[in-house]
Amino acid sequence: MNFRYFFFFSFFFFQLRFVSAQKEKLNLIEFHPVFGKSSLSLNDVYYRMNSEDSLQVESLKFYISNIELLTNNIPVWKERNSYHLIDVSDKKSLIIFLENGHHGSFNKIKFNIGIDSITNVSGAMPGALDPTLGMYWTWQSGYINFKLEGNSNVCQTRNHEFQFHLGGYLPPFNTLQTVLFTVSNNKIPAIAIDIQKFISANELVNDNHVMTPGKQALLLSQKLPGIFRLEQE
Amino acid sequence: MKDELFIIPPNWPAPHYDFSKNPLTAEKVMLGRALFYDPVLSRDSTISCASCHSPFTAFAHVDHALSHGMDNKIGNRNAPALMNLAWSGAFMWDGAINHLDMQPLAPISNKDEMNEEIGHVISKLQHSKIYPSLFYKAFGDSIITSEHQLKAISQFLLTVVSANSKYDSVMRSETTFTSQEKNGYKLFQENCSSCHKEPLFTTFQFENNGLSVDTTLLDLGRMKVTQRPDDSLKFKVPTLRNIEFTYPYMHDGRFKRLSEVLNHYSTGIQPSKTLSKQLLKPLALVSNDRVDIIAFLLTLTDKEFLFNPKYSYPKNIFLTPPQE
Repeated sequence: MNFRYFFFFSFFFFQLRFVSAQKEKLNLIEFHPVFGKSSLSLNDVYYRMNSEDSLQVESLKFYISNIELLTNNIPVWKERNSYHLIDVSDKKSLIIFLENGHHGSFNKIKFNIGIDSITNVSGAMPGALDPTLGMYWTWQSGYINFKLEGNSNVCQTRNHEFQFHLGGYLPPFNTLQTVLFTVSNNKIPAIAIDIQKFISANELVNDNHVMTPGKQALLLSQKLPGIFRLEQE
Repeated sequence: MKDELFIIPPNWPAPHYDFSKNPLTAEKVMLGRALFYDPVLSRDSTISCASCHSPFTAFAHVDHALSHGMDNKIGNRNAPALMNLAWSGAFMWDGAINHLDMQPLAPISNKDEMNEEIGHVISKLQHSKIYPSLFYKAFGDSIITSEHQLKAISQFLLTVVSANSKYDSVMRSETTFTSQEKNGYKLFQENCSSCHKEPLFTTFQFENNGLSVDTTLLDLGRMKVTQRPDDSLKFKVPTLRNIEFTYPYMHDGRFKRLSEVLNHYSTGIQPSKTLSKQLLKPLALVSNDRVDIIAFLLTLTDKEFLFNPKYSYPKNIFLTPPQE
């Protein structure tokens, strides 16, 4: 008797797992942090910016929000409660599973880098928006959209550190950015985030600490969509 | 009789706070009240919210020009009185905080105030004897999160409403002003009420009220938040309710007495590019006028509010041993 139940449930769970694995395959976004052609590791590796200068990345965290799939520029699916904190030190966070994802066709994917202004003024929230995660400014309300910290020989700062905490939602310095990719075969290829596209030795000499909302945060944020690129299958 | 946790006083505008996202319950208000009085929010457990916001002085810090923190540190602004916060959309003298829920994060993390990390506060609460059960009673979950902690503090603060001063009784035709108060009210309406608008006695806007710049603080106010030169030297217009008890006055607590405040508006205005347009012409108030305005301002004292036991230290929570 017990054995029959066991058999029945094992079969049931097997089916369930099989179905969910298939779903996940269709509906996930995988991020690959890179520096040019190398994959990006935190702390232990130096990456060359040019023949003389290099840098080390200690922390890279950013928000991906409001994920949408589109067909011919018309949204066919929007993720509900779509806020994801990507933290390179936490490998699991590099894959976003789209729960209750879209199963029909689509040829574009769109998402924001950062947190929109309405969410920024909506009070205490759980999950990825928890202000204990180090991505919230306590002294002046607002989420940090993108955080990159490390060190480089070109920085004439304490311990040669650089720190970019980019955010701010108040106009004219609203730093929220949008990324739109065209895809084929109703699939979302892995997305590379290339820090080499954000940082150059020439700029890092002078601009190595941005930690408040404002003009500089806005200018740097406008570079962010350009660091995302689809990886070819 | 059911004790309503929050009532909009008659003829008041709709509150700014979205209660639908954080509906009040007696258990959540009580939890917020415990957190408000508990120094566990500071790193060395010496400073609570109530340290600088005492209920008996309308939650202001009487006699302290600038706020005090851990290790005898002194902040750069006057701890404001707390009341009628449900109607306010921006907090701090410069409006740097955009939502009541997020306000406690600022003093908790400020090095000159509680000098603590919010994540560490959550961990301390989780390991305390009293809080897991209080959070369970309030939110149905003994796992403590910052969302629940912040919403509970908001709940208590939302119930902190002052709307029963002599002025309010007069408006409800239950009593009358003395002739001096009446004259003071007339002068107030002519000279002050465009910024200190009834019934909340503030427009919640940011204005430059012509104070000279304190060169030891060099505080530019609202401009630090918006980075707009137009906002230089602007600070939030404070409510005048319970002003009798909320001295010292101004963002840096520079005036100890109401007479000094009235003197400032009559003869002390410093011209500057961003000076409030209402103050371009100094208020023409003779000495008797100022005395009468002060007599009116004292009618904004709300004794029921100041000594309301539902705002006081929650002895029953802190002194009762937890039940096994």
